Amino acid sequence: MSDAALPPAAISLRALTKRFGSTLAVDAIDLDIPSGSFYGVVGPNGAGKTTTLSMATGLLTPDAGTALIHGIDLWAEPEAAKPMLGVLPDGLYSFDRLTGAELISYAGLLRGLDRDTVRARRDDLLAALDLEAAGRTLVTDYSAGMTKKIALACALVHAPRVLVLDEPFEAVDPVSAGAIRRILVAFVASGGTVVMSSHVMALVERLCDRVAVVASGRVLAEGTLDEVRAGRELEERFIDLIGDVSDQRDLAWLRQS
Amino acid sequence: MVAAVLGLKFRTQRHILRREWWRILIVVSGALWAMLVLPWSVWAANALRDQSGDVREDALVAVALVVSIGWVVVPILITGLDDTLDPGRFASFGVRARTIMPGLVIAALLTIPVAFFTAMFVLLCLSWLDAGVTTMLIAVIGALLTVASLVFGARVASMWATRVLASRRARGAALAVMLGSLALVAPLAWVLFRDGLDAVLEYDLVVLLDQLALTPLGAGMAAPSAALAGDTWGAVWRLAMMVTWVIVLLGAWRANIDYSLVHPRFRGAGTRRRDDSIVGAGERQWFANRPAWSRLSPIAATVRARLLRYWFSDPRYLANMLGVLTFPVVFFVVVMPIAGLDARWSFLAPVMLAASIGWGRHNDIAYDSSALWLDVVSGRIGADVMRGRMSAVMAWALPATALGCLAVVLWSGLWAIGLALLAACVGVLGLTLGISALSSVVVPYRVPAPGENPLGAEVGSVGAGLVAQLASSAATVVVLPLVLLPLVLALTVDPRWAWLAAVAGLILGPVAYLIGVSSAGRLYDARSGKLLASVT
Repeated sequence: MSDAALPPAAISLRALTKRFGSTLAVDAIDLDIPSGSFYGVVGPNGAGKTTTLSMATGLLTPDAGTALIHGIDLWAEPEAAKPMLGVLPDGLYSFDRLTGAELISYAGLLRGLDRDTVRARRDDLLAALDLEAAGRTLVTDYSAGMTKKIALACALVHAPRVLVLDEPFEAVDPVSAGAIRRILVAFVASGGTVVMSSHVMALVERLCDRVAVVASGRVLAEGTLDEVRAGRELEERFIDLIGDVSDQRDLAWLRQS
Repeated sequence: MVAAVLGLKFRTQRHILRREWWRILIVVSGALWAMLVLPWSVWAANALRDQSGDVREDALVAVALVVSIGWVVVPILITGLDDTLDPGRFASFGVRARTIMPGLVIAALLTIPVAFFTAMFVLLCLSWLDAGVTTMLIAVIGALLTVASLVFGARVASMWATRVLASRRARGAALAVMLGSLALVAPLAWVLFRDGLDAVLEYDLVVLLDQLALTPLGAGMAAPSAALAGDTWGAVWRLAMMVTWVIVLLGAWRANIDYSLVHPRFRGAGTRRRDDSIVGAGERQWFANRPAWSRLSPIAATVRARLLRYWFSDPRYLANMLGVLTFPVVFFVVVMPIAGLDARWSFLAPVMLAASIGWGRHNDIAYDSSALWLDVVSGRIGADVMRGRMSAVMAWALPATALGCLAVVLWSGLWAIGLALLAACVGVLGLTLGISALSSVVVPYRVPAPGENPLGAEVGSVGAGLVAQLASSAATVVVLPLVLLPLVLALTVDPRWAWLAAVAGLILGPVAYLIGVSSAGRLYDARSGKLLASVT
């Protein structure tokens, strides 16, 4: 089969590089995320996950390398590539003087949807994410979990082909997490692609079919879940790859008696 | 704890200077300026020594008055306090105000401005050199107490202002206080316009200063005069009042710290409910059936609706909106009458208003902070984003400027040049907003994040964004004569120039606005991957 016949990867990163001062945050990463996969990106704090995902979604200009979204160069043709992406960044503000409903409408209208579509999808999303009661209050009054859910709704509203989610389950309560899981699993089942970064290995094992382990701006392991964990728990394999805390000092003074 | 707090402050500052070395230039130039000013204090003290005790007292009280106004107003309106030691940042450590207070007090006193003003006030005490050791001693104590009251007064004022602006409920109160203080200045202006500067200086000002000498504003500087006149009791009670005043200010500061340790600002006050007004934004555009070319695209209208929400609900935007009144109001109410300027000069006030609004947006996009990501990921929509942003500014700036023009024309009676003034102001607004649109995309810099102190600078950022400010000011200075020169000629040479002023303003303003906003839109797309990093 020729290359042209293969469905282009949902996201393919080639030699993507980013340097902040003297720190090499992302070191020429190559990564192919197949279309229709539920892809987990795991790595220790400061591994370069967020930087990589930012460069793959148009939020941060790479120093070198390319990011292709379904074969389209994101940084050369953003007008063609960005509509295919739904993005949930981690640790960034939302426009918190809008209400939850308004934030979803804002995201939808900015994506060029017409007003009636926006109204209908906004109400669907508020119901599906259990935010109906909060839809009319300002995002600034939201808890961390609610803010996460509303940002997820903003990422979904234009029905993208690829979802890039940075820590989508952080601070979300179990009931809402279940709702989000169902939405994402159904999205992948219908042919969409989800790329998710997380620190929770159990969650990645449960949801993802492919995994990449990233550390110090490089990919240490990549493949299907079974390939990466090689017959063991993902968490054990992860610690093998990354290396455990080198000085496991005993905090004797912390013992209660 | 004192050492810990001080260590925190100086370590933070050292790290900032190491990261951004050019800030040292600002410190050095400030120090140079101070060294040039201090010899003048000695010279002034020597000159005052030839005067009678009363004259010395009036002069020194006047200095104290001007400096006090500066200490209270500057942190609130212009630069913002360095919030490295913002007590709110200690909230999560579970410390009590009593524990951190000594450190905060010493840190507040160990700053370059405090050193400078202490030196200045102590040098001014040399005015009493001929009056004996006791009077000198009283003068120095009075001067030190005055400086202490300035430092603590500034803290209390800006913490109160922050508290008022931070709560959504109290925002009406803020506006009322602002208008109330303007109303207080009005009688002063009225007296100035009525009697002329000379009479005011000769009679009213002296009466005012004599009254101020009885209050904590001037008592510290007036105490040696009482001692010189043999009124020992007068000197003693003035100093005692200053000590009490400093203690009261410390108490108010401490109460504020107590408050902010248990009231983190990041949670909103109350939960108001409202319907979705964003989704319908583009449908109720002004003049719904206006020609297509003048309509905003749906995306631009959406961005505009969001910005309008921010303009009327985010304390940072409100502080900006009120700040633009500073220059025109001070000019009209204080400078014009004091300098005895001709009524035609009043036309400068609305021009200043338009320029303050326009130039003030030179860092517009940074106020979105990292929430900017939503605009960036939504596609290649820079042109719409910039049009929406700037038209949200226009939505309140045009009516405000027009009101200013109307007020000035009504006051001066110069109806013949009224249209030219309005046109020139439109021109100024268009030119400055065009420049600001560009500068906010090309050289954005960090500002307080949403929910942070609207009056605070980014940690230790005295002079942050200096390049952006200098570049946009320089561009403004270069282009403004294009629309202002004909107006000046109309006011000074021949009223017929008013026609040229009207045409120049009404054409150049909109053209510059459109060019500025559309090129800013293209640059926004080109730089979209760098914007987020430069504002956070």
